[in-house]
Amino acid sequence: MEETRRKWRALDLTLVGMFAALMAIGANITSWAPFLVIGGVPITLQTFFCVLAGAILGRRLGAVAMTVYMLIGLFGAPVFAQFSGGFGSVVRPTFGFIISFIFAAYVTGWIIERGNGNPSVARFIAATIAGMAINYLIGTNWMYIAYKLWAEAPKGFSYALAWSWMVVPLPKDIILSVIAGIISPRVYMSIRKSASYHQHVA
Amino acid sequence: MMNSMIIGKYVPGDSVIHRMDPRAKLLVIFIYVFIVFLANNSATYAILSVFTFSLVVLSRIPLSFVLKGLKPVIWIVAITFLLHVFMTKEGDVLYQIGSFSIYEGGVKQGVFISLRFLLLIMITTLLTLTTTPIEVTDGVESLLGPLKKVHVPVHELALMMSISLRFIPTLMEETEKIIKAQTARGVDFTGGPFSERIKAIVSLLVPLFISSFKRAEELATAMEARGYRGGEGRTKFRQLVWKWTDTAFLAAVLVLAVVLFALRS
Repeated sequence: MEETRRKWRALDLTLVGMFAALMAIGANITSWAPFLVIGGVPITLQTFFCVLAGAILGRRLGAVAMTVYMLIGLFGAPVFAQFSGGFGSVVRPTFGFIISFIFAAYVTGWIIERGNGNPSVARFIAATIAGMAINYLIGTNWMYIAYKLWAEAPKGFSYALAWSWMVVPLPKDIILSVIAGIISPRVYMSIRKSASYHQHVA
Repeated sequence: MMNSMIIGKYVPGDSVIHRMDPRAKLLVIFIYVFIVFLANNSATYAILSVFTFSLVVLSRIPLSFVLKGLKPVIWIVAITFLLHVFMTKEGDVLYQIGSFSIYEGGVKQGVFISLRFLLLIMITTLLTLTTTPIEVTDGVESLLGPLKKVHVPVHELALMMSISLRFIPTLMEETEKIIKAQTARGVDFTGGPFSERIKAIVSLLVPLFISSFKRAEELATAMEARGYRGGEGRTKFRQLVWKWTDTAFLAAVLVLAVVLFALRS
């Protein structure tokens, strides 16, 4: 209860807004940096920004930032991958991945917070891997339920089949998570050095 | 692209639908999403389709724009249709190809479920096409206002969304600028081995983060300097006005709900 009543600082509001905007950039980074299309697969930086949101803003505001990102997308801003957006996104089977960012940011924020202000690279990698796992868990279950419920998919569509689709991108995502885990501390530290954000808290 | 990001997929216009209060549009869609599931026979689906297409006509948005909104879901609709055609075994057999047989009930079910999908997407696309994201945000803030009583930070969420929408184009510009600046310093953003690409992305991300943090801090300072104290007693730049047409549309969708309920089998 105390958490919800906590007064919002102006800086909280602007930083959350900024992270939601960064997610929009991260989803479509390949349109500015085409070299991130590796082996024909466009790489998004969403997991990366999501983890940093949890790490820098903390689990609560990190999750709020991901919620804001989801909402502006739903309300029609083309912020999701491939510049899509609008309420119609909900019926897309992949919408679960967007929802999963909220939980992923919360959990990664929690993992980084255990690092007592000086999280190690290993901790960051653990956080990104955890974030990715949550991504897959919620995303795949959502996809399964979406097909089952909205499309009223008949019996042939099994739970195992839904998961088997996810095996293909899995190795790529594990590698990317590890890389994100290695890059994140650098960004994290540069922010800690430059911004007065944490000085306000202390 | 920059511009399209600010206004979303909004198509400027001055139709009855464009001028509707965003709150009314949201309420209509909210009800519509539920009553779509009431339709379960030819008559109810026909009425639902007529209603939906009338809204499209009233919005004076070219049908091609609305159909473009359907494109991303066309696959799932196609899969859904085929699943039903091949897997539902009801009614008379229409065709028999080897061990496959297609039943009348399957085709019917396939058409209905696909239609349900298409109509839902169509009406939500219509909202996106006739309403800017910022209008939707204002509408939702106003509709969810009562939740403030139970300490849901409705005002704060809406403000964060406005800030985010405002800064997306700015950060896009920033990204472009940083890529150019780092290219000038010799970073290769066009290719190279995997490890070089990772290094290149770090040289983009660190400045991008720092500049967006600076912007966030400046904005927060500006807000505090102007005495921002949260939602209480704050006046608005964009005002929402509920007109009689809004009531009319809301009434229309309620009538539709009653008709569907009466005619469903």
